[in-house]
Amino acid sequence: MSSIGQNAPGKTVLLMGNEAIARGALEAGVKVCAAYPGNPSSEIIGTLAKVAGKMGLHVEWSVNEKVALEVVAAASFAGLRGLCAMKQNGLNVASDFLLNLNLTGCRGGLVLVVADDPAGVSSSNEEDSRIYAKLGDLPLLEPAHFQEAKEMAKSAFEISEQLGLPVLIRSVTRVSHARGNVCLNELPQSSPKPKFDNSLRFHSLPAVMNHKLLHEKLNRAEGMAEKSPFNFYRGPEKPELMVITCGSGWMYSLEAMTNMNAQDRVGILKLGTTWPLPEDFVLKHLKKADRILFIEEVDPFLENNVKEIYAQSCFILGLKSFFGKASKHVPDVGDLNPEIVTHAIQNLIQIPYEPRPADYARRAREAAAELLPARALGFCAGCPHRATYWAVKIALALDGRDGFVLGDIGCYSLGMGPSGFGQMKTLHAMGSGTGLACGFGQLHQFGLEQPVVAVCGDSTFYHAAMPALVNAYYNGSNFLLLLLDNSATAMTGFQPHPGTGETATGSEAPVIDLKAICEVFGAHVEVVDPFDVMATVKTILRLLQDVKGVKVLILKRECALVSAKHQRRLYRVEVDRERCLGETCGCNRLCTRIFKCPGLMWDKATGKARIDEAICTGCGVCSEICPASAIRKEKD
Amino acid sequence: METGEKINRGLKALEEKVLDRNLCTACGACLSLCPYLRSWKGRVVKLDDCNLEEGRCFAYCPRTEVDLDEIYQTVFGKNYEEIDVGPARKIMMARAKNPIWRKKAQTGGVVSSLVDFALREKIIRAGILTPRDGDLLPYGQIIRGRKGILSAAGSSYVSGPTLEALNRGAWKGQERIGIVGLPCQVLALARMKTSKLEKKTPIDQVNLVIGLFCTWALDYKPFMAFLQDRVDGRSIKKLNITPPPERIFEVLAGNKLYRISVDGIRPFIRPSCRVCLDMTAELSDLSIGTVEGKEGWNTVIVRTAMGENLLKRAKRAGVIETRPLSKNNLNHLKEASLLKKRRVLDALNEKGGIEKAYFTLSPQLIKRILSESGESLT
Ligand SMILES: Cc1cc2nc3c(=O)[nH]c(=O)nc-3n(C[C@H](O)[C@H](O)[C@H](O)COP(=O)(O)OP(=O)(O)OC[C@H]3O[C@@H](n4cnc5c(N)ncnc54)[C@H](O)[C@@H]3O)c2cc1C
Ligand code: SF4
Ligand code: SF4
Repeated sequence: MSSIGQNAPGKTVLLMGNEAIARGALEAGVKVCAAYPGNPSSEIIGTLAKVAGKMGLHVEWSVNEKVALEVVAAASFAGLRGLCAMKQNGLNVASDFLLNLNLTGCRGGLVLVVADDPAGVSSSNEEDSRIYAKLGDLPLLEPAHFQEAKEMAKSAFEISEQLGLPVLIRSVTRVSHARGNVCLNELPQSSPKPKFDNSLRFHSLPAVMNHKLLHEKLNRAEGMAEKSPFNFYRGPEKPELMVITCGSGWMYSLEAMTNMNAQDRVGILKLGTTWPLPEDFVLKHLKKADRILFIEEVDPFLENNVKEIYAQSCFILGLKSFFGKASKHVPDVGDLNPEIVTHAIQNLIQIPYEPRPADYARRAREAAAELLPARALGFCAGCPHRATYWAVKIALALDGRDGFVLGDIGCYSLGMGPSGFGQMKTLHAMGSGTGLACGFGQLHQFGLEQPVVAVCGDSTFYHAAMPALVNAYYNGSNFLLLLLDNSATAMTGFQPHPGTGETATGSEAPVIDLKAICEVFGAHVEVVDPFDVMATVKTILRLLQDVKGVKVLILKRECALVSAKHQRRLYRVEVDRERCLGETCGCNRLCTRIFKCPGLMWDKATGKARIDEAICTGCGVCSEICPASAIRKEKD
Repeated sequence: METGEKINRGLKALEEKVLDRNLCTACGACLSLCPYLRSWKGRVVKLDDCNLEEGRCFAYCPRTEVDLDEIYQTVFGKNYEEIDVGPARKIMMARAKNPIWRKKAQTGGVVSSLVDFALREKIIRAGILTPRDGDLLPYGQIIRGRKGILSAAGSSYVSGPTLEALNRGAWKGQERIGIVGLPCQVLALARMKTSKLEKKTPIDQVNLVIGLFCTWALDYKPFMAFLQDRVDGRSIKKLNITPPPERIFEVLAGNKLYRISVDGIRPFIRPSCRVCLDMTAELSDLSIGTVEGKEGWNTVIVRTAMGENLLKRAKRAGVIETRPLSKNNLNHLKEASLLKKRRVLDALNEKGGIEKAYFTLSPQLIKRILSESGESLT
């Protein structure tokens, strides 16, 4: 249980970066919090939701990031403090509103936390969200450690209120998801009463005048940044090399320096206010060194902006060498780690240091392989998505017209890999599968003969696919949308959504009925249970072959992990060894070679399949696919 | 050729040599044997890869590496050498005596009445026939009584996966099975019988094979699309082809008889039928077809002792009546049968040579077929 709600000033607690941000917001007296879940940002609002009742907050999972930001902006307009959180892709969704909100300004402190996912570990893309701060002339803070995450969150509300502007905080996975000690401060006891001041106007127009005002605010922000405690220098007065860094780069650089014992030779300029940059502060420190290395995750944001400042004053500063992503001393894609930073510094100042034995990586891999069973990235045991893709695979093959599946964002994105039998052929933004289907569904008039299928999860549907479905019907497209209704936002940690009948804080909510929505949008809608594989195959085939226009097939089956929490397993599943054909003709391990539910194991010794009791969730789907009826299910 | 690399005789080869080349006859021999193959509307589809080097799918398929001599040796004790209508003990005309068969049957009801008789006499315990579903799609069905036989009576000119029923059936002990099939299907059955692979089909229980004459069969999907444009598919009661020289495709739908020139439906002939050597279902106990110019009578070719015995008993029991087949009819039959072989050889010659065909034939035999048959009409 998170300790972010304690009013215990001076107490040190272990917090995850995201919790530290949430705590900072609480210490700042936040009242309204909204987000759409997305890794690595989800725990910010997730933890606030848990203390919402006790602390009198409104916390919600909004239907998408743009709506989340709008909800929070409303609180700000009414004079309350509001926090909005999202992942990098989410900011793209919210950006339309954000890039008008910058012009209208706001009242109560409004902080927008964006957690980036370097290397795109749990994202569809790798993106540096900081560019939005520059694009929108908005102040940007980047926490480097847990304590700072909390302090920055708190101070971001102050800055926001002083400037009348939303303030961005950019975190990254390694700050958001790591844990460290955080010393708590007091929680405020009172909060203002919200009121919309009718004498105020929040119009983005006239745009030019507001743009000018915005630039003035940004100038003031720079003035504040000059004095910010989040910017500091550590190291010798005349270092051989100066590392300029921010966010996660700070910890990596510190570790690299300690490893190499390079503290006397290399200095670190750590910046927390990365937009606008404190120009004087940066120039003052640039004087110290002639060789400068930038360490930051994803894009060369700091690198380019510091170089801009240098370009203005190079007459005074003299010649300097800059190293970083542009010079290829640091990789310009993927995430960083202390080893990469160590290598970069080593390269530049020739410190002999072997970060780890040459064969370390190989030995680590071997050791890990021994400890962990080899499991490919794929759907869980008993996951309805596996059954769905199995049915899709069969249906498209039988249909014989080379149909294809357009993908979307969620657990089911794994459908592009072996556990979805490689069925999903595109992956872009939230809702894009349905949007692409709208387009493909128009190509039949030009001779496209293939059936068009899109997949979309329930949460993604509310988020962004609904407009595409409206578009499909309105413009007369022709495709089949498979709505994978597993009653969860499983990918990001089971946050409730409009279809689950529950809010972020656990109170009851009306259930928005997927079927009714799709019907109102004019689609031909049917519902099927993906665990009934053959019924699903037949329904898909019939819809593809006999029904023209926009068809929606709702595949209704609860996520295996959700049902495991409240339901006993459906079946006891067992392999009859006598019947199992194993590797022989007639089967050749269909269940463990192709279907590949993790609940099934191949027993090399006996040459038969068996059930891994610990993993099998008892869905019984494999008993339907076994050609020898060797897998038996019995009601548990 | 690389040493050690085995030639694939499994699903991979089946896909390359049969499915991808559109040579599948949809006989059903590989279905319900293997989870990677499934049929849908007359097409057999591969669902996943199977990496086995050898498989029953390839071994039983009538369009893969068929050694005709070997098979005829096993079934008849002689090589593939009777090139007109295959090994025959007797050839005659026959028809069922009981009008219930003649009414429902395609021709003279000999097939249906013999299956019924064999069941009643316990010569077989189950029959595998080919009824059609509401959409006229043929499928293999296990039948055990008259009702089932009647529901399957009549011909569907669309080929369907009859043999799947043999593989799918939950057969008891040593239950005897009789099967009615097209020439490609009886070839597949013979391949099952002669296959050296570990057997996991109930082929040894099959003790009666009745083969139907067949010049070609149609591909379900395109043919149905063609029919639907002209006739209400759901009301179709019977399809028939009138004998040459007229050759009209008749469709009885509701109370209306539609007559379509056979040339109009030729585009829907399965490509696989164009490489089929067999018109008279040579690898069966009894082969049964129509008699040109004698409506309501079947041509029957008796090929084995089993066939002969069944026919004799059925006749004695008054189930069927027989008459000699006229010289003229017999000659026509032989000509037509040889012509089918001839056409295949001509077609293969055009497309890269007979050596590459799925069957092996000695050069002498090829020469005999070419010289003894009339001119190819294609
Ligand atoms: C595709 C096809 C092509 C044919 N071509 C010729 C030809 O060129 N010359 C000729 O003389 N005769 C041909 N026949 C045979 C003819 O149509 C009759 O089936 C035969 O004369 C037997 O008549 P019957 O009255 O005894 O049959 P019935 O008593 O009516 O019994 C017919 C049996 O045929 C089976 N059957 C029906 N359709 C199929 C199918 N698609 N596949 C497998 N079995 C099926 C049924 O199970 C049924 O038991 C063909 C038959 C088919 C199915
Ligand atoms: S699918 Fe059935 S027969 Fe095949 S290996 Fe698995 S349990 Fe055995
Ligand atoms: S029943 Fe089969 S499919 Fe379901 S979880 Fe168990 S092993 Fe997996």
